[in-house]
Amino acid sequence: MIVPGLNEIIHQPVRLRIMASLSALGPGERLDFTYLRTLLGVTDGNLGAHLQKLEEARYIKLTKTFVNRKPCTHIGLTAKGRAAFTAHVAALQGLLEGVESRQ
Amino acid sequence: MNASREEAARSLDDVHMIAERTRKAIAYAGADIVFVIWGIIWFIGYLSAQFFPLQAHWVWMVLVIGGMIASALTFRSRSPVVSPLGARLGAFWLLLCLFVGLWSWLLSPFLSVPAQADANDFWMHMHAITATIVMFAYVVMGLWLRSFMLWLGLGISALTVLGLLFLQPLFWIWMAVIGGGSLVVTGLIVRRKWQ
Repeated sequence: MIVPGLNEIIHQPVRLRIMASLSALGPGERLDFTYLRTLLGVTDGNLGAHLQKLEEARYIKLTKTFVNRKPCTHIGLTAKGRAAFTAHVAALQGLLEGVESRQ
Repeated sequence: MNASREEAARSLDDVHMIAERTRKAIAYAGADIVFVIWGIIWFIGYLSAQFFPLQAHWVWMVLVIGGMIASALTFRSRSPVVSPLGARLGAFWLLLCLFVGLWSWLLSPFLSVPAQADANDFWMHMHAITATIVMFAYVVMGLWLRSFMLWLGLGISALTVLGLLFLQPLFWIWMAVIGGGSLVVTGLIVRRKWQ
């Protein structure tokens, strides 16, 4: 079934979960890379690849800092990313509620 | 883009589950340890008032400063989130301590420590005031952030007043066991429930 409004970048399962986790943050908040990796149960490389894809789409912003001399990456959702995620979830809900369009 | 209803349902379940887990992790990261730390501080502080009344003020001062530093370090190391809210919460507790000090100074002309025979009664009231001010902060945070702190604040305030009114001979031990114990138990519940 063809569903308008679904976002191809976000729809991939790992990226959807990344966006879902980041959507729980408040404005200006950023999530720790290590925590996100544990939450999603993925490897560093896998998570890094998906984050790169989302960053290229400007849905997320990565911030690299040093905490106690250790490199630390934090991830936050951009306004564009939040809007795209909200639209994607609305499209999924629309599909469930029977609002669908065949092309 | 193609998607089936089943896929949409699975995706939405996933979205809700992950968002909920993230919210809980943010809200409770480190909170279990901090509740246990403050429970132990209350326990030691109030027992010191029972057994070493003359040194109790110094014991409390060291415990509170140590507790604030330990709490800040715990939240900093355990929280998976960098948040402007964290700094505001830290400022809130620091300002609360400063205001309690300011109010004590402003009231000092009217609060002369009575003769030794009545001093214990005076200090029990002073500690009950301080404890309920801190619990009022819990109530505010409970309303603002998460409901269980609201009930914890109201519960310990009620127990403090109960101890002051009806259990004065055991007041310090009551506060150590019931007040400190409530904080420790809350920490253990938070740990068991959310982690």
